[in-house]
Amino acid sequence: MLGLVDSIGESTLSLFNELGKIALFVREMFISVYKKFIDTSKCFYHMNYIGVDSLTVIIITGLAVGSVLAWQSYIGLKRFEGTKFIGPIVFLSMVREFGPVLSAIMVAGRSGSAMTAEIGTMQISEQVDALRTLGIDVHRYLTVPRIIGTTLVMPLLSLFCSLCGIIGGYIIAVSVLHSNHEVFLQEIRKSVEIFDIFSGLIKSVAFGFLLSLIAVYKGYTTRGGARNVGISTTESVVTASLTILISDYILTSILSGA
Amino acid sequence: MKPIIELKNIYKSFDGKKVISNHLDLSIEEGSFTAIIGRSGEGKSVLLKQMIGLIKPDKGQVFIEGEDITQLSESEFDHIFEKCGYVFQFAALLDSLNVFENVGITALEAGEEPNKVRREVAKKLKMVGLSTDVISKYPSELSGGMRKRVGLARTLMRSPRILIYDEPTTGLDPISVRTTHELMKKTHDEIKGTTIVISHDPDIFNYADTVAMLHEGKIIYTGPAKNIWKEKNPFIYQFIRGLSEGPITLPSKEK
Repeated sequence: MLGLVDSIGESTLSLFNELGKIALFVREMFISVYKKFIDTSKCFYHMNYIGVDSLTVIIITGLAVGSVLAWQSYIGLKRFEGTKFIGPIVFLSMVREFGPVLSAIMVAGRSGSAMTAEIGTMQISEQVDALRTLGIDVHRYLTVPRIIGTTLVMPLLSLFCSLCGIIGGYIIAVSVLHSNHEVFLQEIRKSVEIFDIFSGLIKSVAFGFLLSLIAVYKGYTTRGGARNVGISTTESVVTASLTILISDYILTSILSGA
Repeated sequence: MKPIIELKNIYKSFDGKKVISNHLDLSIEEGSFTAIIGRSGEGKSVLLKQMIGLIKPDKGQVFIEGEDITQLSESEFDHIFEKCGYVFQFAALLDSLNVFENVGITALEAGEEPNKVRREVAKKLKMVGLSTDVISKYPSELSGGMRKRVGLARTLMRSPRILIYDEPTTGLDPISVRTTHELMKKTHDEIKGTTIVISHDPDIFNYADTVAMLHEGKIIYTGPAKNIWKEKNPFIYQFIRGLSEGPITLPSKEK
């Protein structure tokens, strides 16, 4: 029993210790940005890199999830003769939930892991120390442009993922399940509000910030050798995915009450 | 000569267990060429990094030109790195940048005109014995020796008055070792600065004027390099001759 209490206490302390370190890390980044504004070309470079890098996987994810949603909605709604609602269900699910969450998890797995591995490798091969000795602000050069780039590109990727999902759902509903395409679109127009799209965009901005912050933090705090780069990269993807899912619940509660 | 760098009572341990610097004192005189020697794993690189603030000691003070750098926060180190240039053991060039971008990184980041930076980079490359043919090459396309020269050229771009080399001859053949030592001496004379180098190679004694030996976290010897081969200090005697018998215990004989 005492061992269990010990272990819970230790885990709690370690969690707060880590959160404290992240807070200090964010503080350092803000000081860097405050001292001199970020080079916007670097942010655009990362926006472009992350956006293009993740596009294929986002298209496939969106199409697959949208198609499955249409199928599953059809199975359930057919029992109540409500198949005309397939359109709104696919639309709302994609725009409010699956678009932002899945695109963020995909970016965490693809670009977030690359960020951690790159910065981690630079850290263990003394490249980060070299930047410091050359008078270059490491945050302004390495971490902040990646965070800004990811945060700005995530809403676009999320919208793209949602759009692909809606197209996938439409194709399945109309050509496989023989729903009327007029009804599909009409019901969407009737039941969707602009806030549905807006809430998805707010979520994607938050997810972009969190996943990139975790990715650069894990890379920046990597020490040791190649094995530790691997460990940091895995931790980065797992932590970012869990953070996205937990923060999705929190944001959904807040935005539903709004 | 007045001291330009002073380490006073430096204590550093990792994880509270492995003591790297054990109440260490060291004074580096302005204009000197100091070679720091010691067994592998003694913490020589950590010592150099503590000297310029890349690693903070747990206790003690580090003075650079009279300023205690242990009191500075991370964002207050700019002027220290302007004075001190650090050449890393494996050069630490940025993989994603070519030689021009690596050497000129500070100037380019400061927004200087690229053509002006290119001219300055060519000058520094010439200074370290490299032609401008390498300017568009990436670090992966360079040999170990060339990478170290590029690393030195990059450091020289900021015109530091104190040059610190972390084992610059590791992994180089004897001819390249001699050439690197000659280059370091030439650079030392040209910039009229202070040089501190970690080296295991006895050839360094032909170029350095002072030798400091690190053993078990302390500087146990400081003296002129000129008469090092006549030195009777048992640690120095054993180390520079590479003897297995003596006061320095080999890892296999350690308890």
